[in-house]
Amino acid sequence: MGLIAQLLVNMLQIGAVYVLFALGLTLVFGVMKVINFAHGQFFTLAALMIAVTMPEFTERFGFPAWVDYFVCFALALLTVAILGVVLYFVGFERYLRDLIGSFILSVGLLLLLEGVYLWIFTGAPRVVPKLLTGQVSILGGALETQRLVICGIALAATFGLYQLVNRTKLGRALRAVAEDREAAMLQGIRYRRISFYGFMIGSGMAAIAGGLIAPLTAISPSLGNDYLSKAFIIIIIGGLGSIPGAILGGFLIAAVESFAGYFLDSSYATIAMFMLVMVFLLVRPQGILGHAER
Amino acid sequence: MRSARAGQIVVALAAAAVLAFAVLGDDEYTQHLLMWTALNAVLAVGLRFMLLVGETNIGTGAFYGMGAYMGAICTTKWGLPFPLALLAGGLLAIVVSTGFGLVTLRTKGPYFMLISFAFTEVVRLIYTRVEWLGGNSGIIGIFPPQALDPWMSVLTFLLCGGLILMMYLCEQSNLGRVFRAIQNNDAVVETVGIDVVQIKLVCLVIASFSVGIAGSLHAHIYNVISPGDFSYLVPVFALAYIKIGGDANVMGAVIGAAILTVLAQMLQGMGSLEHVLFGGAIVASMLVLPDGLLGGGRRLLRLFSRGRA
Repeated sequence: MGLIAQLLVNMLQIGAVYVLFALGLTLVFGVMKVINFAHGQFFTLAALMIAVTMPEFTERFGFPAWVDYFVCFALALLTVAILGVVLYFVGFERYLRDLIGSFILSVGLLLLLEGVYLWIFTGAPRVVPKLLTGQVSILGGALETQRLVICGIALAATFGLYQLVNRTKLGRALRAVAEDREAAMLQGIRYRRISFYGFMIGSGMAAIAGGLIAPLTAISPSLGNDYLSKAFIIIIIGGLGSIPGAILGGFLIAAVESFAGYFLDSSYATIAMFMLVMVFLLVRPQGILGHAER
Repeated sequence: MRSARAGQIVVALAAAAVLAFAVLGDDEYTQHLLMWTALNAVLAVGLRFMLLVGETNIGTGAFYGMGAYMGAICTTKWGLPFPLALLAGGLLAIVVSTGFGLVTLRTKGPYFMLISFAFTEVVRLIYTRVEWLGGNSGIIGIFPPQALDPWMSVLTFLLCGGLILMMYLCEQSNLGRVFRAIQNNDAVVETVGIDVVQIKLVCLVIASFSVGIAGSLHAHIYNVISPGDFSYLVPVFALAYIKIGGDANVMGAVIGAAILTVLAQMLQGMGSLEHVLFGGAIVASMLVLPDGLLGGGRRLLRLFSRGRA
């Protein structure tokens, strides 16, 4: 029982970050019909910024670690937002709804940004100090307090996005554009503006995921790449553009990783995920909750 | 007219080869550079072949890798003759791509792109886990027969040229017309009684066969292969060759491959700057020359002729 509980808790915690990452990707796809291969670079930048600024802050002001963390988190989000604005207006705006063009552009950006990060931050893995120490036990599974807090924030952010998309006017516009761009424009929705908002929100989700993963792992400039391939698998399973699908897929993949990773090996877990996707495609080519592509 | 075009391409390729050998001489480095360019050109044309039916096949990297591993095993472990090792690479790619295509070609567009991406990454992971394939360090000592050494670059050129020509001829044939029709509107093609999935499968298998042979050739030219050589970056670079050269015809892909292969060699050993410049070149060309160099050149020509008129 203890082991199962531990694995379940583990799943919830990995899953929460996967969900955030994949949500951003699927939102950007829904609105812009662009698969952003540079999505992971927002994630990596946020984690790197926290890893670099946090020790400085601690040395200078001597606040408790969690205060520093949130200040640096805000700073990281701001940096990512600036990068997002630049990338959108310089590049992505010209390749809206162009799958192949935007693919090459975003892969170019992936390489470019990874190189720039390597240049600025060097390749050495960095570690962020623990936010909170201590452990709690849930159903017989032990969990660090900081992981619990991080998992809570991730779930809150997911819930927040869900509410934003389902309850607000902006969310309705995002959904309308994703459903049918021309019909949405006929209703007076400004497509370009909405797709910009979609891109920024999606990138913001990646940044939040990156900020949350920072205290839990060693951070290097290629951190985002592992998450990117898993996020692709998640959004295929969930259906491209589907927000509930990304949430479901994220936890499913986290479950496979947590259980197969424990009983076998982490790379077998990835292979198992791929097999799962192949089976899924045989049964439902459009994903669990996705619509068929027209 | 069709055969005349093919003739032109053959002449152009032969002339390019002769010119390249004549101008660059026979020192080993330039010979290698030419061989790498030829391999990359096959990759780019193979990827473009699948673009004709409107699909981005990132699995190109996986089939290239399979060809390379198969060729390496044939030569180092089974001691098969060199031509058989080349053919085996192509045949393995045919078998695997048929199975892969039967499952995945029911999807299209972004789904196919992402699933082929995942496929390439998983196949690479499998190489690292299998001890027999050398795990993370790969396979070393893959040499072509010694008698072929002076002829290796010519052979590579002919073989790669042949593969490119084969794909070009397919594109110009009636089959190629069906490909284009699927790219434009697959529903219409379906209504005249053509099985779209089957045609796409044929397209995938032809492209994979070419890329598989090129992969086996890659193993014998580099003499060393490891899983890291066959990541999703292989097709990504191939796509960059196509985009930078221009995607309107085969020559664009070949020219793009030549330019970027040389650029990559010049940047080698510059560490992180290599990534920055290569990524930067891709981004810049997407922003400045959306139809690639050939498209840009054509636009420039049109501009001049209009100015004169």
